[in-house]
Amino acid sequence: MDQKVTMTEDGSDLLARALARCAAGERAALREIYESESARMIGVALRIVRRRELAEEVVQDGFVRIWQSAASYDATRGAPRAWLYTIIRNRALNIIRSEKRTDLVAEFDNEAIVDDAATPDAIVGRMADSEALRHCLEQLPAVRRNLILLAYLKGLSHGEIAGRVQMPLGTVKSWIRRSLLSLRECMA
Amino acid sequence: MNATPLPEDHEALAAEYAIGLLEGAALDHAEHLYRADATFTQRVDAWRARLHPLDMTARETVPDAALWNRIEARLAEPQPVKSRQGQSVPAPHRNVFDRLWSSLGFWRPAGLIAAMASLVLAVGLGLALRETARAPVLVAVLMTDANQPGAIVNVLADGRAELVPLGDIPVPAGRVLQIWTLWDQVRGPVSVGLANAARRLELDIKALPRTVPTQLFEITLEPQGGSPTGRPTGPILMKGNATTAL
Repeated sequence: MDQKVTMTEDGSDLLARALARCAAGERAALREIYESESARMIGVALRIVRRRELAEEVVQDGFVRIWQSAASYDATRGAPRAWLYTIIRNRALNIIRSEKRTDLVAEFDNEAIVDDAATPDAIVGRMADSEALRHCLEQLPAVRRNLILLAYLKGLSHGEIAGRVQMPLGTVKSWIRRSLLSLRECMA
Repeated sequence: MNATPLPEDHEALAAEYAIGLLEGAALDHAEHLYRADATFTQRVDAWRARLHPLDMTARETVPDAALWNRIEARLAEPQPVKSRQGQSVPAPHRNVFDRLWSSLGFWRPAGLIAAMASLVLAVGLGLALRETARAPVLVAVLMTDANQPGAIVNVLADGRAELVPLGDIPVPAGRVLQIWTLWDQVRGPVSVGLANAARRLELDIKALPRTVPTQLFEITLEPQGGSPTGRPTGPILMKGNATTAL
């Protein structure tokens, strides 16, 4: 490789190098990741855990984990940002799947699909026009698209979605399943 | 229901797992596949990449200024001790793992197949390595839940031991592979190594008595730094008994 620093538009290279520096024990690199990603990570966590203090707990745990497992990040298995957000989402999902979920469920309101009250269409609209995921989600019938968004953005399980949309569990499962397979076909 | 899942079933399961839709037995099954089945791992990773643009639609919310300090404070806490040797351990047979380790029924199904695979591999390895000073005197073939050989433990003539993975072992973020051996029911499983990924690894058995035939080895998934309790806490990825190499 030549010495020229290549940087992709989305900062992937920068993040990948920051992770490598974390793996080498450089705390400043973790701070850089924190500066660039923590606000959006709080937003991702908030959509799932819904409470500010829990979202901060998710991001706190997430960064400890990022630091500890930076060495295991493998660029051949995916982009660094997707890896970072998987850690955050998994931590948030674990929290709502634990005992704490009972009081969280009680707080669910039925109107807004996401915490910031944006409609599903508005969420999809925030993605770049060039994003294949946006294009392919828009190809799905609205009801099915919304089921997938409900699942991903709020971290709801099949059973919880069935309860929320008042549909039989089997129907919810098979609709989501078929929608996911067509999504994949569309994005291939 | 089909006994063998169709490829699209695994594809959908990978998507559901990546999204976080699964609960209970389905979640356990997917977690197992994610660790044990490289194709499934790739599918899940691909789904995470596909859906990741949705994360970027989250509204940015600046965290409390003290959050970074709390993260730094957490990182400053002492890490769990990596080697458990010389540490006192609780009385035996107190927890589920101790009972599993000593339960014949738990080991028997894999044990028979493992024994046959051990024999085949031990013969092969024994022949291949006979000429070298590093010839193993004992070999343990560690079998996965799916009864696939996943790794070999070679115990060498000079008393050293090494782990040789036979393929990739997916390690989720924040976890490590921890290698254990059971040489004494009373003492229970003892940690002999940690690895972030599947790689050839010298096992730390010097402080233990000489490895004996039928001695158990196993690999579990543990938090970074190794099991905080000194006992296996995570899922068992593979296990096997040492056999005399021909």
